Amino acid sequence: MNKKLLALLALLLTLMLVLAACNSDDDSAKPADEPDKTEEGTEEDAEEGAEEEAEQPASDDLFSVVLENEGEAIKGGTLQVALVNDSPFQGIFSYVLYEDAYDDEIMQFASNSLFTTDGDFLLNDKGIASLTVDGDNNKATIKIKEGVKWSDGEPLKIEDLIQPYLIIGHPDYAGVRYDSDFQNIIGAVEYHDGKADTISGLKKVDETTLEISFNKVSPAIYSGGDGLWGYAEPSHIVKDIPVAELLENDAVRVNPVTLGAFKFEKIVPGESVQFARNENYWKGQSKLDGVIIKTVPSASAAKALETGEYDMALSFPTSAYENVKDLENITLLGRQELYYSYVGFKLGKYDTEAGLSTTNEADAKMGNKTLRQAMGYALDIEQVNEVFYFDLRERANSLIPPVFKSFHDASIEGYNYDPEKAISLLDEAGYKDTDGDGLREDPNGEKLTIKLAAMSADETQEQVISYYLQNWGEVGLDVQLATGRLIEFNTFYDKVQADDPEIDIFMGAWGTGTNPSPAGLYSKTAAYNFSRYTSEKLEGLLTDIDSPKALDSKFRSDKFREWQEYMQEVSAVIPMQFRYELRPINDRVKNFDFNYETDFDLIDVELVADTPVK
Amino acid sequence: MWKTIIRRVLVMIPQLFVLSLLIFIMAKFMPGDPFTGLITPETDPARIEELRIKAGFYDPWYVQYVNWIGNAFQGDFGRSYTFNVPVSNLIGDRALNTLWLALLSTFLLYLIAIPLGVLAGRFQDSFLDKSIVFYSFIVYAIPTFVLGLINLFFFGYELGWFPTSGTVDIKYDSGTAGYLWSKFYHILLPAITYALLATTGVIQYLRTEVIDSKSMDYVRTAKSKGIPINKVYSRHIFRNSLLPIAAFLGFTITGLLGGSIFIETIFGYPGMGQLFIQSVNGRDYSVITALVMLFGFLTLLGSLLSDIIMSIVDPRIRID
Repeated sequence: MNKKLLALLALLLTLMLVLAACNSDDDSAKPADEPDKTEEGTEEDAEEGAEEEAEQPASDDLFSVVLENEGEAIKGGTLQVALVNDSPFQGIFSYVLYEDAYDDEIMQFASNSLFTTDGDFLLNDKGIASLTVDGDNNKATIKIKEGVKWSDGEPLKIEDLIQPYLIIGHPDYAGVRYDSDFQNIIGAVEYHDGKADTISGLKKVDETTLEISFNKVSPAIYSGGDGLWGYAEPSHIVKDIPVAELLENDAVRVNPVTLGAFKFEKIVPGESVQFARNENYWKGQSKLDGVIIKTVPSASAAKALETGEYDMALSFPTSAYENVKDLENITLLGRQELYYSYVGFKLGKYDTEAGLSTTNEADAKMGNKTLRQAMGYALDIEQVNEVFYFDLRERANSLIPPVFKSFHDASIEGYNYDPEKAISLLDEAGYKDTDGDGLREDPNGEKLTIKLAAMSADETQEQVISYYLQNWGEVGLDVQLATGRLIEFNTFYDKVQADDPEIDIFMGAWGTGTNPSPAGLYSKTAAYNFSRYTSEKLEGLLTDIDSPKALDSKFRSDKFREWQEYMQEVSAVIPMQFRYELRPINDRVKNFDFNYETDFDLIDVELVADTPVK
Repeated sequence: MWKTIIRRVLVMIPQLFVLSLLIFIMAKFMPGDPFTGLITPETDPARIEELRIKAGFYDPWYVQYVNWIGNAFQGDFGRSYTFNVPVSNLIGDRALNTLWLALLSTFLLYLIAIPLGVLAGRFQDSFLDKSIVFYSFIVYAIPTFVLGLINLFFFGYELGWFPTSGTVDIKYDSGTAGYLWSKFYHILLPAITYALLATTGVIQYLRTEVIDSKSMDYVRTAKSKGIPINKVYSRHIFRNSLLPIAAFLGFTITGLLGGSIFIETIFGYPGMGQLFIQSVNGRDYSVITALVMLFGFLTLLGSLLSDIIMSIVDPRIRID
């Protein structure tokens, strides 16, 4: 090799180092290979370089939820918002039709919501409409404020409240929202089957009052359940559009009208949305001139915030937390998500024909309650949260996320990491190592191999799951991956739902939505009761929680607590993690509140500089 | 030649038919369906069943296939389950994005690679040659997403020379000059990245060809006739060295039309590569089958294109 070549080599290497240095804080960014599943995926997306100590313990005061900025506001201005998403958004801007969570994020700025909710996500009277429930006659009355207008200046009418029901119930409607809840409205089924032109249970009383008749009314109605629909549709625009064509209509895709603080100005499909101030907003005029939302790939989201490209990031990936937490131009707001992950134990079968779960604890491999509890105590989830998730996840103590303040029971201890306790429980239950191979046999002396089904995600997931397997190994349990590896999302739920005999236990997660009622996940008729555990006591509690008696909120929250304690006691499902979501905000922004329950409105957002702070 | 082209196109039909059968069956073998990802605790399993029945997922596969192929012949590839729009519209939007990106990438690719390849071959073993060869190995070794991120972070965010995501700035109205410029501006950085990464093959081929040609008889003849050396390179050697490159041109263009998942994801550029991955993960059958059919067709078309191009640039070759 001659000298010239060596010199060149040296030059190129230097250049590469310089480029690498420019890039040093983002070297762990990578293209995501897993698309975001709307609701059910675990989205285990922490990154690999996680050996460093996380500084703070997870607690409610881990992040502030209200932005503090005393700067002097400029007049108007446009808020630049990054929507962190690795694929284009779908752009269905209608609450009855959308399915993609990102569309929902965008619609927050131009919401057609009729109700506002309190800290337990129960409807209150502070929004456009108020709800009165007549439990004796199974009726609900919705009264709207006078003078509320759509963004095109048309007044909000009762017909606009009826319109969404007529769309969802229509035979041509292809979404998931025509469900058993919806059929609870009197006349909904007849309308859906084409036997009636309208839904008989919906009655316009006067210009501001709608009365809805139900087959039954439960406390879930205050969470927007029982078939009640919480959004308006502009009937003056959509009533003449055939339901089958609505999805592709300009009224949904190009220029939807809205009741929210901002109105749609322009949409570049899948990429960006421009909002302008809604002059007709019922709460007043926004201080901002407008908002621009742009899709930003997750790999560059942190960099985009650092360089002051955006004022705010929606659906910011917690895996990029390390890259933004020390940025000087960014304030991180955080709050707990409506989410929990869990280990489920297969204890029975679901009969699809009859729609009924039957539990057979005596014959199930995981039928021993003490064994299940020991498995819960053996998991060092605390360590996983710290190392892999920067404490943006915390050990879950119950199956109700703490966000539901009056329903979550903080006094339940849950399963904190305690291998000693796990060992003594296993010894006590007769799971002993009789053949000296270091692994426990079952009480009959038979070899015990437990098959775990776990979902695949990124490369961290692989490490997390093998750490859990190791945890169980340390207390002498032989737990193996069902199918021998992590299972792809769709396959995982196929197998779990079909009670695949190869699966003894499984790790899943739920985004719970705002209705905390556990009946959909744990009752004997629920297809999603994947552990297939049922008992009379459990059914009783679930019925009580949604019974008319529970319209009394004290009774209801007591029953919730009782249910959580019972679930802890039977341990058919062991809660694993709650998690946080982050909202990074540039220091240019003044006034923002990330609380679920808040009097804050988007019209109050202000800016203190002409461009985002770098 | 026209006869051959028509014959080749006709042969594509049975080929595509077999492909459609294979891909349709294999797509159905995948566990789960488009509705699996929609399930929340509040989703009614009965409604999901109803939707599955409506979508015809419980019919035997051959019934589903016949329905699908029947509609496909009439240009109707069904609706995307994920995006809720007709597949043809969905692919149309993305294909257009990908097409512009592919054309600009191909243009830049040859713009960079051809001069470098010729220079390296002409001044063989010089410092310039070694630098070019070294450069081509470096870009060959860099993974797509690494170079993509470096370019994005350095030229996009740090220097602010290029837009960082999307295909167009929202402030321009479609049809205006600003809009077209914005589109071009958005494509530029991904296209440069794309082009840089693909240069290696072209440079190496061209370099070898030029070096080989140098010792050919016709070059010696040209030189001995007293033709200026520059002209020998530009007229005689260059034209002949381009043959293998031309042979790949068809494949290069149609290959680029398949999109690149990495480039598209990093630059937030909605194109075909992303759409394909997304449809596979979401079990969006109608999109999967339509896309595979399209990719299959493009491959066949690419080989036909290459043959046609060859016959144009090389008079010795006649297809009939």
